[in-house]
Amino acid sequence: MIMDNVEKITQSRAEICSQVPPLNMNTEEEGGCGVTGFICSIPVTGKNIFEPSAQMHNRGNGKGGGIGAVGFVPEAMGVSRQVLQDDYMLHIALLDGSVCTEIEDTFIKPFFKIDKSEKLATLNDHRSIGLDVRPPDVMRYFVRVKDDVLDKFIAANKFESMDRRDAEDEFVYQNSFKINTHYYASLGDKKAFVMSHGRNMMILKIVGYAENVVKYYKLDDFKAHAWLAHQRYPTRGRVWHPGGCHPFSALNEALVHNGDFANYQAVNEYLKQRNYFPLFLTDTEEAALLLDLWSRVYKYPLEYLIEAMAPTSEMDFDMLPKDKQELYKAIQTHHVNASPDGPWFFIIARNDVKNDQFQLIGITDTAMLRPQVFALQEGEVQIGLICSEKQAIDATLISLEREDPRFGPIADKYWNARGGSYTDGGSFIFSLKDTANGKELICTDKFGNVIKTPKGKVACDVAKRITVTPEFKPIEDKITALFAVSDYSATAGKIYDYVKDNIAGFNPDTLRFCIETIKGHAGKNDDCKQTVISALTLLNDHRFNTGSIKRSSLQHVLKLALDDIFDASPAITEITNSRFSRINFASREKLRAPKNNERVLIIDAEHFEPEGDLCDAVMIVKAFQLGWKRFIVYKYRGQRFTGCGFGPSTKEVRIDIYGASGDYIASGIDGMEIYIHGNAQDQLCQIMKEGKLVVYGDVGQTFMYGAKGGTAFIMGNAAGRPLINAVGKPRVVINGTALDYLAESFMAGDPLNGGGFVILNGIGFDDADGSICEYDSPYPGSNIFSLASGGAIYVRDPHRKLVDEQLNGGEFIEITDADWNLIEPYLKENEKLFAITIERLLTVDGNKKAPQEVYRKIRPLKAAAVKKDDDGLEE
Amino acid sequence: MKPSTVKIKRMPSRFKHQVPKYKVTRSAACINCGTCAKSCIYGVHERLEGHNKMSVPIDYKCIGFECENNDFYCVKKCPRGALSISLNPMYETLGDYRWTADMITGTWIMAETGYPPERTDLEYNTGNSGGGFDKLRLKFPKGHSKIDKFEISTEIPLNRRNDGRANIVISTPVYGGGMSFGSVSLPTMVSKAHNATLWNTFTCTGEGGYPDLLLPYSDHVITQVATGLFGVREETIQRVKIVEFKYAQGAKPGLGGHLLGEKNTESVAKMREAVKGTSLFSPFPFHSVYSIEDHKKHIDWIKEINPNALVSVKVSTPNDVDMVAVGSYYAGAHIIHIDGGYGGTGAAPDIAKKNIAMPIEYAIAKVHNFLKDEGARDAVTLIASGGIRTAHDLVKAICLGADGAVIGTAEMVSLECVRCGNCESGRGCARGIASTDSELADLFNEEWATQRLTNMYHAWNVQLVEILQKFGMRSVRELVGRTDLLEHIDYSK
Repeated sequence: MIMDNVEKITQSRAEICSQVPPLNMNTEEEGGCGVTGFICSIPVTGKNIFEPSAQMHNRGNGKGGGIGAVGFVPEAMGVSRQVLQDDYMLHIALLDGSVCTEIEDTFIKPFFKIDKSEKLATLNDHRSIGLDVRPPDVMRYFVRVKDDVLDKFIAANKFESMDRRDAEDEFVYQNSFKINTHYYASLGDKKAFVMSHGRNMMILKIVGYAENVVKYYKLDDFKAHAWLAHQRYPTRGRVWHPGGCHPFSALNEALVHNGDFANYQAVNEYLKQRNYFPLFLTDTEEAALLLDLWSRVYKYPLEYLIEAMAPTSEMDFDMLPKDKQELYKAIQTHHVNASPDGPWFFIIARNDVKNDQFQLIGITDTAMLRPQVFALQEGEVQIGLICSEKQAIDATLISLEREDPRFGPIADKYWNARGGSYTDGGSFIFSLKDTANGKELICTDKFGNVIKTPKGKVACDVAKRITVTPEFKPIEDKITALFAVSDYSATAGKIYDYVKDNIAGFNPDTLRFCIETIKGHAGKNDDCKQTVISALTLLNDHRFNTGSIKRSSLQHVLKLALDDIFDASPAITEITNSRFSRINFASREKLRAPKNNERVLIIDAEHFEPEGDLCDAVMIVKAFQLGWKRFIVYKYRGQRFTGCGFGPSTKEVRIDIYGASGDYIASGIDGMEIYIHGNAQDQLCQIMKEGKLVVYGDVGQTFMYGAKGGTAFIMGNAAGRPLINAVGKPRVVINGTALDYLAESFMAGDPLNGGGFVILNGIGFDDADGSICEYDSPYPGSNIFSLASGGAIYVRDPHRKLVDEQLNGGEFIEITDADWNLIEPYLKENEKLFAITIERLLTVDGNKKAPQEVYRKIRPLKAAAVKKDDDGLEE
Repeated sequence: MKPSTVKIKRMPSRFKHQVPKYKVTRSAACINCGTCAKSCIYGVHERLEGHNKMSVPIDYKCIGFECENNDFYCVKKCPRGALSISLNPMYETLGDYRWTADMITGTWIMAETGYPPERTDLEYNTGNSGGGFDKLRLKFPKGHSKIDKFEISTEIPLNRRNDGRANIVISTPVYGGGMSFGSVSLPTMVSKAHNATLWNTFTCTGEGGYPDLLLPYSDHVITQVATGLFGVREETIQRVKIVEFKYAQGAKPGLGGHLLGEKNTESVAKMREAVKGTSLFSPFPFHSVYSIEDHKKHIDWIKEINPNALVSVKVSTPNDVDMVAVGSYYAGAHIIHIDGGYGGTGAAPDIAKKNIAMPIEYAIAKVHNFLKDEGARDAVTLIASGGIRTAHDLVKAICLGADGAVIGTAEMVSLECVRCGNCESGRGCARGIASTDSELADLFNEEWATQRLTNMYHAWNVQLVEILQKFGMRSVRELVGRTDLLEHIDYSK
């Protein structure tokens, strides 16, 4: 009988699979988690995975954490480059140290040539870093399979037809499987298991928070190209060993997972039919095995593999080219029953040995049920990042900048993936390849389209002293002149215009000098200070051509200046005649009512907790009750609930937010205004009643879920499910687009009669020059306004890209004058806030058009049940 | 014990003729002498002043054949032999296997009198479902109890976390389940809240907003935050002492909420700020919560809005309900409310009610034991619901491991629901309970309904105290998890 290699591999495992004892079919329960990963063109230390992990504490519960690392420095490992590249790095976790010799004698020494073996260094006392459960001792072996052993293995399984290295891979896989069966799965008291056995990679996991892996195994100064961390949230209380923690690996990859499969059993069956027997009872292990099956055994290219994981469906499938449809249909036919169902998001770091590259891959489920953010920073060094929350990305970058100033604290680009889509396939891949100029990082989507940041722009080295030259004099004079006025009301705008109009001619030093000079005026008086804050904020918020300087670097310079200005404000403990008073975590107990001229409470959020009684949001509510109405919060690092808990009627309140803001901002607000000077995270404006939210960037998942009213202006995109179940009269402008499920079950009355609506502009900004550009489609998702019974969507769709197939219960109609009169004031406000002019919005391909030609209206199909206004029994 | 605010007062049926168990027939031989009216102590016969004839017998008050040994047995007393008693064929149409006609009648009597029925011809403590609580019996010890009824406490604390939030103690281990404005009428909601206040316990808004008429009772109202977020605003979260997240209902897990267009009247739509006459759906999940850490964040949010409130998490009973419960505990919930599959009004689809969730008696024990193994049982209050029909069901649920129970249908039956199961159709309830139709909702007033509920709660409390006394316990808290006091009739020796 002729078998292909796939069948041979599968068959070769029959014996070892038959030795797996019957396992409990219940999975280990866990929900979502926090996941984070990054890959750099230079190796960076384990310290840098520490910060983002610590930031995502509240996504785990301290009962499981793990890290993965790929791409090491040979010297640090004490092996030659050759050994590092070629050898398998076998990491064995010893839950019971006494089995070490036995494992070596039975499973390692007889089969492997050992180039190096060592016990990983650890802290002496795990309790010193707050760990309750002692992490396992880990043995590391650099090994190759002995020639004669491999020969026998190949002969026994008729593997002659395959690449010798592939056979060796399979041997390593099977050998570890035997160890895991013997010392883990078959035992009540687990004794040992293989954490990882891939090449140039490792996985370490503990019962505790992920960052403690770094501390316990002393990885602070240990370098790798790619790092991955996972905070686990097992719902069971007592966990004594980290067997079920992430990352999981099958061979050369480390996979972390946020979410859980609804079809664990089905995937289990699918795997067993192919002689993959999961031993650790978690869906994450299944995901790693699927990956291994499809990539190593079936040898699918990455694109096929992603399609098998997250099938393209609905309208997205129809939008694919014909040949792709055929291909994907074949993949789906064979593997759809193994496609993970339910909420999941994977980050995979892998050593792609076949193509000689390291990769970091993020894949989201088709329905985008878990949060995910991608980011890219390019320049002298390059880095790609994937996280559950944007703030974890920022924390990574801040940490990296401390280690190497060639990194900046703000990425050049942040974006989300649209799951199972024809646009990006719901997946992005950062590949790190050797080139003539050293390692180069390339970011592509599922289809191989390259994601780039503008070329030829430079970053400012903020650590360097500014060399002042006589050429700077005119800048100084100009700024001084702008401040030499008695009425400051227009000054901020003029300063903004000046910088915007001249930045094209600036080099990093001129820019920094200019911003420093502006900042210098803040100390003069409160009016000047307010003017400087406003001007720098405008420069931060708006999109314009930043010339030869990276926008992310300009934002960095502005952030430093603004932080300085806020830091220099009088502390709450002093009583002055200033309009500003500053409070931080240390002085929070000193909170008091505003005195004298005090009007603005500046809150340094850095050390506040993300939630609970020590969250800054709680303190802000107290401050409001004491009479404060204006707030500036800065140095945010993911703290949640800003603006929540004020209660009804808060019309005069205004909160300005700087830094990495957190989830649930503006939820339940009733009248106040909140300005977020940057991207926002998930669950904003839940049940919002009245008031205004302005976001100078993107918003995350389920924005305005169940909102009753209020207005919101979003400069960029919304992620999945904005305005779901919203009622009443919310009025929203989204300048970008939404991932999918926009305004599902929208019930916001009749917009022409006081009800709510969404204006969707479908535009973005050119990364290179900040100009406005149209997206290919204003809304590429398959579902818009589904099951809605009220409200409307006004979509800027001059090319009529939206089609009936995207609707489920809605209909397209032409907009009337009444519609335009309704939305125009919102577009005017949008213009004021974001400098997105109505003129530009009505311009299509260079020609100014009438509103009716540019905007379309979507309203509920069955014009909301016509009923007489009585509740009686008319029958 | 009942709080001093509870006053028991007879509150008769709204209808002259309920569905009676017996039919009392007066033949043409009657001479209208009035002997029967004088002898019957239950008021079946009336000889009204100024009337020529006897009134038609009020059948539902008749205790039936067991009366025949009494001196005052009307059939024997009648000088003309004009009276006879037979089983009423209509009675067979009342109720169903879970809520038998006897159980409905028993509940009506409790709501009318404030005490358990004295007649012995009604099997009102257990139903006839052939499973669940109906197969369980309490095993009372022999001999007399030395405990005085007045020493027995039926109070339970709801906050066991010791986290500085409100220390709420309810006087009886029962509170009212969430029924939204829209699914039930305003007088129904208000009387539930008024009764909860009198009984120092709670009722829940359900998912349809917080009508202003409930404001006087805010200390005893639970604001429900459910997946549609209808009517939920910061002030409705801030004004209460308990906020309940409804993740799922045992009667229809995974199906979300659903109010058909017909019941979405002007006033309902206004409260929910939705469009009148359209069907209103609450999604089956919280779209903001797809995992346990989202759930924690969700709870943190509510705790941030109301720094003093307790958080209750209502979930249905899937196979892994134990994990869900322990996860909710770790996420910061004070009350885990598990809702089993027996409950549900007519609005839940039959196929869901009968087939999806795990029976509550399994779920309670599973969750109780799991929490115990985790060492978390003492720090969380476990509330069961979904088919708690009687005081005996309540006691059985507590013996299995719950601290208390939430009831829904029993309250509706007290208001003379006949379990016709048409809650969702047309404008709703023929009896004016589950309707927001302006005329139907006027079929009773709040005073009547409040007293009926108060009476029913009292009758349950009386039964509970009697049972505790028989068990020799001074507090209902001693009963928690005492499965040894239960027997399954199929397996008992």
